[in-house]
Amino acid sequence: MLMNTQNLQPRVYDPCGVVRSIAIPTAERVNTLDGLRLGVLDNSKWNANKLLRGAIEALGKEIGFSEVHYYVKHSFSKDAAPELIEKIIEENDIVLTAIGDCGSCTSGCLRDAIALEQQGVPTAVIVTTEFVKETVLTRQALGMTELEPVIISHPVSSITMEEVAQRVAQIFTQAQAVWKGEQAGAADTYLKGRKTPD
Amino acid sequence: MSAVMQTATVDTDVDLVEYYYDAGFSDGLPVVPPTQEKIDAVVQALGGDPGFVECKVAPRWGELTREVLAINMVMAGCRAAYAPVVRAAILALTDSAFNLNGVQATTHVASPLIVVNGPIAQELGMNGGANAFGSGNRANATIGRAVRLIMLNVGGAWPGDLDKSTLGHPGKYTYCVCENEAQSPFAPYHVEHGYKPEESTVFAIAAEAPHSVTNHVSNDPEGILDTVCSVMSTIGSNTAVLGGHMAVALGLEHAKTIAQHGWTRADIRNYIFMNHGNRFIDLAYGHRYGKVYNRNIPKWYKREDNTRIPIIHSPDNIHLFVMGGAAGRFSAVIPGWGHMSTPVHRPIDTNVTPLEPDCSSGTCAL
Repeated sequence: MLMNTQNLQPRVYDPCGVVRSIAIPTAERVNTLDGLRLGVLDNSKWNANKLLRGAIEALGKEIGFSEVHYYVKHSFSKDAAPELIEKIIEENDIVLTAIGDCGSCTSGCLRDAIALEQQGVPTAVIVTTEFVKETVLTRQALGMTELEPVIISHPVSSITMEEVAQRVAQIFTQAQAVWKGEQAGAADTYLKGRKTPD
Repeated sequence: MSAVMQTATVDTDVDLVEYYYDAGFSDGLPVVPPTQEKIDAVVQALGGDPGFVECKVAPRWGELTREVLAINMVMAGCRAAYAPVVRAAILALTDSAFNLNGVQATTHVASPLIVVNGPIAQELGMNGGANAFGSGNRANATIGRAVRLIMLNVGGAWPGDLDKSTLGHPGKYTYCVCENEAQSPFAPYHVEHGYKPEESTVFAIAAEAPHSVTNHVSNDPEGILDTVCSVMSTIGSNTAVLGGHMAVALGLEHAKTIAQHGWTRADIRNYIFMNHGNRFIDLAYGHRYGKVYNRNIPKWYKREDNTRIPIIHSPDNIHLFVMGGAAGRFSAVIPGWGHMSTPVHRPIDTNVTPLEPDCSSGTCAL
């Protein structure tokens, strides 16, 4: 039998295929929020509108946005249409988007945020605690490892207005931190200690 | 043929099945340890060129080269001859209309169901007959398993990480069947959609597990299809509020009874469409949790208590297959995931195009 010694050692194979993601930086952060145009992207998931309307009200009391624009995307499980992303980029300086509280909607929200950040728009993407790990894996797969989410308590659908208010308070501080570049490490910190940012 | 991937060797005393478990490359069942000979045979069946990238697989966006496709197929237990079907299935899944990113990540139970039509199903020995969705057939089992291994290994949708399904379902191991064309009284699904009988296709839909339709009583189409409508008309499926598509697997006895009355595929789909659905007030939970408008339901339905709201919003969104064994008055309804994913139907031979674009114009009347 023809066999050399190397062949006696079985070969093993990697079935995963390579990922060729290019590292993409986030947009430049902003120093001040007053006078900026805020775009709000609602993914049409249950209660996303309540969270976002609440956040607009809370943020509006502290910050003098020059304009606030509200958009709703056609499907919470898909990326926003490219023309909607273009419109948002054109009409806004910073963006707030919700809600990543399910697998496909978290992925869709993150991909929207990455599309906006890539075009220079700092974007605060809101995900719930159950989807922080998916957030970290997705941003890694897509090459934007510095994208930090706003992390709020899970769940979001089927909650009371009092619970909506608690989550709005979480968005209020964290969204500002994301836009200003003060949210660094939030997702990793959460995964280590299961502690949401203050 | 040379491998373009990085490979390694291990000591001769290493148990290769355990090696692949430890490496995290398994769906939970033992995999067949690949050998270069088996990988080469699959790559050959795909047309050679092991480094050729067929597609990228979401949500990890790993590159599916022919070699990687072959490794996963061998691990799944496929014969090399299954390669064109596995490739066509993966190309269907990675069509943007399918939204694989969402299907992989969703908390819903959905998993892609692959249905094969045309002569290749018989050539490969696939089972569309008795126990079609069950165990016991190598081609069904391993083609579906190869698709899942690619979704896991290349797509990276490991449960708990990028796959956030709350419950999953058994079709997430393997979910692949063919239509029982030989015994069906109707033209096959792919012929209804504009292909020639001698052409072969794959159909992919993100789907729940089959829901049983039991009717041992009716000797007419209306009675049988009313039971199909009853199974469809639940408020618990994703489609009840999110629309989209559904597959219906009509059992042979049911199909024959319906055909004996001169009904066509279009008659069946239209009857189901006209006679299923929920009352709006039931979908709104009687407004118990606040006044409901439900913007996920199309605008054209009146939001009145007794308005009938169909589960899917066009008869063309019912994908009808005849399947199963000769005995038994059973069919199955297979709800989709919702409007977020559009099923994809494509030829296995990429040089083939359908005679008609699809049924979107309502021309499917066989």
